[in-house]
Amino acid sequence: MSQHTRFEDLVMPHLDAGYNLARWLTRDVNDAEDVVQDACVRAIKYVGSLRDGDARAWFLTIVRHAFYDWCKRNRPAEIVKGDGTAIEMAAADSAMDPERAAQRRGQSRLLADAVAELPLVFREVLILRELEELSYKEIARITDVPVGTVMSRLARARGLLQRSPFLHAIRGQVAGGER
Amino acid sequence: MNCNEAGTLVACYADGEIVTLQGRSIERHLRGCAACTAKHQAVLELRARINAEVPYFTAPPALRERVRALLVNANDVAAARPRPQQDRWRWLTGGALAGCAATMLAWVVGTAVIDRHANEDVAVEAVTTHVRATLNNHLIEIASSDQHTVKPWLSARLDYSPPVQDLASEGFALIGGRLDTLDKQRVATLVYRYRLHTIDVFVRPEFAHAPSALRTLRGFNVAHATGSGMDWLAVSDVSADVITAFVQRLASEAASR
Repeated sequence: MSQHTRFEDLVMPHLDAGYNLARWLTRDVNDAEDVVQDACVRAIKYVGSLRDGDARAWFLTIVRHAFYDWCKRNRPAEIVKGDGTAIEMAAADSAMDPERAAQRRGQSRLLADAVAELPLVFREVLILRELEELSYKEIARITDVPVGTVMSRLARARGLLQRSPFLHAIRGQVAGGER
Repeated sequence: MNCNEAGTLVACYADGEIVTLQGRSIERHLRGCAACTAKHQAVLELRARINAEVPYFTAPPALRERVRALLVNANDVAAARPRPQQDRWRWLTGGALAGCAATMLAWVVGTAVIDRHANEDVAVEAVTTHVRATLNNHLIEIASSDQHTVKPWLSARLDYSPPVQDLASEGFALIGGRLDTLDKQRVATLVYRYRLHTIDVFVRPEFAHAPSALRTLRGFNVAHATGSGMDWLAVSDVSADVITAFVQRLASEAASR
């Protein structure tokens, strides 16, 4: 099978998955396209080394790498935030940003906003788990951390969403269970 | 098992990561523990809301084109490498042919093969329509998750008023509607998103050749339900039981109004 057909057959079906991940990581339409395009250049180059079974996870790994490279060049500050200490601040900052607040009123996308506000390391596991429906093991492979870390990051992501000030409905439902 | 032991396992259980013996002891614990049950419920609730409210972004057609262009270039370079001097015209035409073939393959296979059976029955036609809309990126003419926006738009263009329901709370988010021709008649098409899947639901007062049972055609499931003077025909790549339950839910929801 030629490189061309291999890419067409194995990777193209997962272009949406790659774009969705890039879109949630960059949170921007144009940046997401740049990242995916860069990822595709790499994927075309290395498609020969891809085994048939796990094309989606393979491609998502490449998209994620392309994103982090792009992020280092364009938004280095975001990667530092990933240590978890800046989380509560990140949520509070965005809650006060008037432009975003106005946007939020315009469209009823509260939960989507809360997901977009999650710190990078938590956002990526949440997207891979809830939108891509990948297993812990696959997420661990893509994000290059142990399964235990995937579990704890997922728990943090969910906790942040459930406690998010934008999510009164959910907070109401959960309060009983957590206290 | 106590709450301490159940702890993080509750989320794993909700994620379908635990199936064996451990799963059964968690189930036992959940039955007796309100706090852990609430935790489990919270994960499920959050998931239902994510499915309904957090968009899954699909690659814009322009990006798809650019990637295909990258591919053609890469192919030209690869083809040129072995014999750079002789037979230049051959790789030129070869590259061009491969390019054409790549961009057209999906269309030819996608539409020609399907067209062959187009008139067999309405289920086949429904799948064809669904595939065409997906391939042409023409799923939605009126984009809205609001049933009160979609319904009047459709009613204004048809000689009947189709029931429109948003079942986002159950994971089936209405994302819009469009018009199609099915069974030689104008038909309202409701478009739903379920997880990664798109579901087309064709709604008409009556389909003449509706399939009586669930049909599977080229990997797509077609389910049919009827009630209160309307017919629902749902097409998607979701599993058979999901689509069957969904279409019946639509029919019973309409009947209860």
